This record gives sequence, structure tokens and C-alpha cells, in this order.
Amino acid sequence: MKKESFFAKRIYPLLFMLGITVLCIAVTSGLYLFTQERVEANENLFLKKTVLEAAGVSYPDDFIEINRIFDEIVRETGDVFTVNKGQGGTAFVVPFTGPGLWGPISLMVGFAGELNALTGIGIISQNETPGLGARIEEPWYKQQFIGKWGPFTMVEEGTADEPDEIDSLTGATRTSRSVQAIMNRAVSEGPQIIKGE
Amino acid sequence: MAKGLVKKTFIAPLGKDNPVFVQILGICSTLAVTNKLENTVVMTLGVMFTTALSSFTISIFRKLIPARIRMMVETLIIATFVIIVDIVLKAYMPDIWKQLGPYVGLIITNCIIMGRAEAFALNNKPGLSLIDGLASGLGYAYVLLIIAFFRELLGTGTLWGVQILGSWWTNWSIMIMPPGAFFMLAIFIWVVKEVFIKEESK
Repeated sequence: MKKESFFAKRIYPLLFMLGITVLCIAVTSGLYLFTQERVEANENLFLKKTVLEAAGVSYPDDFIEINRIFDEIVRETGDVFTVNKGQGGTAFVVPFTGPGLWGPISLMVGFAGELNALTGIGIISQNETPGLGARIEEPWYKQQFIGKWGPFTMVEEGTADEPDEIDSLTGATRTSRSVQAIMNRAVSEGPQIIKGE
Repeated sequence: MAKGLVKKTFIAPLGKDNPVFVQILGICSTLAVTNKLENTVVMTLGVMFTTALSSFTISIFRKLIPARIRMMVETLIIATFVIIVDIVLKAYMPDIWKQLGPYVGLIITNCIIMGRAEAFALNNKPGLSLIDGLASGLGYAYVLLIIAFFRELLGTGTLWGVQILGSWWTNWSIMIMPPGAFFMLAIFIWVVKEVFIKEESK
């Protein structure tokens, strides 16, 4: 086997690596720039949907409609979204985040105008176990908070019937406790945040 | 290119050289993403896309890549395709992207892709490498789909999120937790080796 020249041994691999890196970065950043607007629009839309959901406003699954409804009835001041539900009164939506089992759980919590009941919750992000803790994304779990007020007691799945009881998820006790903790914090701190204290 | 060779390249990863149940590669993601059929489909499509195109690209450059740094180059090319999958999902299928979370990025570490690049793409023509990559991805995909089918059905009584089993069914929560994946994969490998591969060797 002939001895490799200095160029083939030292310089060429460097140049090759440099070239292929530039090529790969060009491709990925090009695609990133190309889709950036769409990604931002998606995130924006998702946030709007979550706020509307927490406020208990139903919306069609349509990009333009959601934006229209949101712009019409929601006013954003600092961390608080004030939602004017017409005859349904006013709702305040405040984001709350707390630790979950695998990562933070971020919720949008909706308060009825009188600050004595919730209008619902929406989930911004969670990393719970798929099929177990991630069931907090299921509509029945989120909707159980509507009309309730804490501090909340956790009861077995499917048995909550008092206004301060919430269903836990079977097989996801840690996640259920995390949500309970966030919600208890929400009902104790939420009114002050909304009143701007 | 001989027609027989193409056929052989395509068939091998589906059966006797299957990356999952024969070579036992890519187990990490096999265990992680098979508890919901929908996520599994998207994940396997991502892997198929990445294996096929990274094998193809590496094969194009195979005579130019210095042997000393070939692993770095392979990882870089694989990572590029994975990021493409990630960005496309994020832009066009945001809901599924959210559910898959970190697993899309982890396609980079899927040993099947690296394995095919090392074992096949470095020594074969681009066209054949593309077929090999695609077939390896397919071989991975169908195994995962079978496992996901049983895990979702037994674990939640649903398929593709639609309730299949009635209220009489008690969900086997263990099936959608990580241990369930080990059970299903082991049973699957056992059945395949006992029934199909044993017959072949006789």
C-alpha cells in the first residue's frame, strides 16, 4: 500500500468535511427559512385555540375563523387574556406552569368573570407518558374543571361529583397530582393576577 | 444492474435480514413509539425517508468520503435528513409533531440507518443503495406497525384513536407502558423465529 500524501491524509478530509457541512447547513437552514412563517402561524394558532378552549368558547376548525373570533373577543394585557363572551359574560385566561412527571406542564386556566368558578383549561405543552399521563389531553379530563373551584381534592377516575373534586387518571397518579398542584395554585393566585395585584 | 440483484436487495430486509427481528437494531425506537398506531405510522415514514435518502446520498459521495472521517460524514448526512423531517412535520403536521416530541430527532441515532450506510451504501451504487435503504425502512416499519397494532388495541381498546373494543374490555395499561413494548417485541421475535425462520433452515 502506498503511503498517503500529506494532502490526502490531513488536508483533504478537512476540506471535505467543511464542504459537506456547508452544504448540509445550507439545505436545512434554507428549509427552515422557507417554513418559518408557517411554523410561527401554527404556534400562534395553537395558542389562540388554547385560550379559546380555556375560556369555554367553541370554535370551528378553521384557520381564518379562529383568528377572526380571537381578534374580535380577546384582549391581551400582560399575562392575562380577557375574553368577552357576549351573553356568557367575561372570562379571564391566565397561563400556569408547573412540574410534571417528565417535564413541565403548561396550562391555560380560564376563570369566570366573578372569579368563583373555572371556565375550563387548555393544555399548551406537556411531556407525560403517552397513553397514561398524556391522557390529560383528553377532552373529558379537561372539561371536568368547567364550573368547579378549588382547592381541589383528587378522587378515583370517574367518581368526582363535588364542585371541588377532580378525577385522577388511573395509572398516572404522579401526573394527576402535578395537575392538581398547578390547578390549586391557579385558583389561589389567579384572582390576584387578574385583579392586577 | 441485474434484475435479480435488485429483487434480492429489496426482499432481504423484509425477511431473513430484517433489521428489527433478525439484526435486533433500532430497538430503542421500536420500544418507544409503538403505543399508538398513528404516531408509529408517522415515525416509520420518517425513518423510511431518512434511511432511503441518506443511503442514496452517502452512496453518491462514497468515492469522495475519506475513510478516516466517514462516520462523521455519515452522521452529518443522516442528521440533515432527520432535521428535514422534523421541520416538515413541524410546519405541516404540528399536532403529530407535538406528540412525537423528541423521537423525531432521535431518528438520527437509529442504528438501522447508520448500519445500512456502513454496511451497504459505502460499497454499492446509489440506485441500489436507495432500494436497500427503502427496504430496510419498510422492514422496520411493518414490524413496528404490528407491535403498535397489538399494543394500542390491548392497551387502550382503540385503533388509530377509534374505539374498537366495547366497554367490557379492561385496558391493559401495561401494554402502553415501556414494559409492554418489551413483552410484545419478545413475543413477536419468538413467533417469527419459531414459525418462519425455523422452517427455512430445515
